[in-house]
Amino acid sequence: MIKRLIASLGVLGITGCAAVAIPPAQLESSEASIRGAEEMGASGVPNARLHLQLAREQTDSAKKLAAGGDQRAVLVLARAESDAELALGLAREASVHSEALKAAASLAALHTLTNP
Amino acid sequence: MTIERARLALVSILVGTAIACATNPPAQLVAAREAYVASSGGLSAKLTPTELHDGKKALDQANDEFERNGDTLICRDYAYIAQRKLELADVKARTELDRQKIAQAATAGVAVRDAQVKTARVALASSREQLKDERRDNKITTNDLRATNSAQTKELEAEKEARLSAEGKLAGAMKDLAAVAAVKEETRGLVITLSGSVLFASNKYALLNTAMTKLDQVAEALKAQDPDKRMVVEGHTDNRGPDRVNQPLSLNRATAVRDYLVSRGVAGEKISAVGMGSGKPITDNKTSENRANNRRVEIVVANATLGLR
Repeated sequence: MIKRLIASLGVLGITGCAAVAIPPAQLESSEASIRGAEEMGASGVPNARLHLQLAREQTDSAKKLAAGGDQRAVLVLARAESDAELALGLAREASVHSEALKAAASLAALHTLTNP
Repeated sequence: MTIERARLALVSILVGTAIACATNPPAQLVAAREAYVASSGGLSAKLTPTELHDGKKALDQANDEFERNGDTLICRDYAYIAQRKLELADVKARTELDRQKIAQAATAGVAVRDAQVKTARVALASSREQLKDERRDNKITTNDLRATNSAQTKELEAEKEARLSAEGKLAGAMKDLAAVAAVKEETRGLVITLSGSVLFASNKYALLNTAMTKLDQVAEALKAQDPDKRMVVEGHTDNRGPDRVNQPLSLNRATAVRDYLVSRGVAGEKISAVGMGSGKPITDNKTSENRANNRRVEIVVANATLGLR
């Protein structure tokens, strides 16, 4: 049993030293989310900018971890993607919220015109 | 020795696992759990249930990892992801709420504009009706004016015709008058002079028969004059004889002429008679011809309505 455990740890060690392949679709999805957030103007929205930055940093970390054979690379990339999606959501929220305020102001102005 | 080391490693792993199981959950997991409680009780449950479910799945993975292996990096990663997904669920819920507000504002705006258009249409219809009424009134007024103008034109034409007729009549009468009497315009008016010898016998004031024919023509001429004009018949004598005789004689002669003219249709209230005696000769009384000229009757048709004595 002890021999088997040692053998397992040895296998783990060998595997850990080999490069980890990040699923291309996941990497692509994460980077697409980052681009989407950028296009939505996340850099101009303070809290969105923070998450966008975290997404970029964690994508880089995931790539480094993968190159170093760390299995955790996949999860770090998932973290990056969740930050990118949140940045995109926050940027979109800011834009829609601004539109909502404009719509409310327009409606109020319309009412004022109708009932001066 | 090797066996001992292996045992020691195994014990270490088992002890480590036991310690992990007894460890408190990491701050990330606690925060993720709290975030889920807040999100599931808020807008996300209603507006973004799919995103809330994604967050819940990540939280479950974090909880499973914690239960199995304690506070590991994997557990923290899942908790981190769960937190982000739950926050994203909230963000999307707020965004959806804003979108609904935009849609409601748009709908309300359309309703307000529809109401404005309706009001404007009503006002326009009212204006059109008013304009229609005004046009109808104007048409009526125009027709009235046309009728009035037509009546006035007809009246004027009738007046003009009557005036032309009167002028023609007057011109004819004056032409006839010129054959029997001297007619001239003076400042006091039109003066028709008839010789006394044609009208009366000497010292008499009864009209001669021949005089009446002449006076008929004079009457026609006087009737053709402006009916508002006043007329005066003046009797004049020569200077033979005293004034006490000449004065009443001139008056009686003037009166005889005036009465005859009235009998021939001249308005009595417009014509009067005065005796001037010998006081206003038209020439000296030295010769019989001159005296004959001074014996006369003058009929003055005044220029002004109140221009006579």
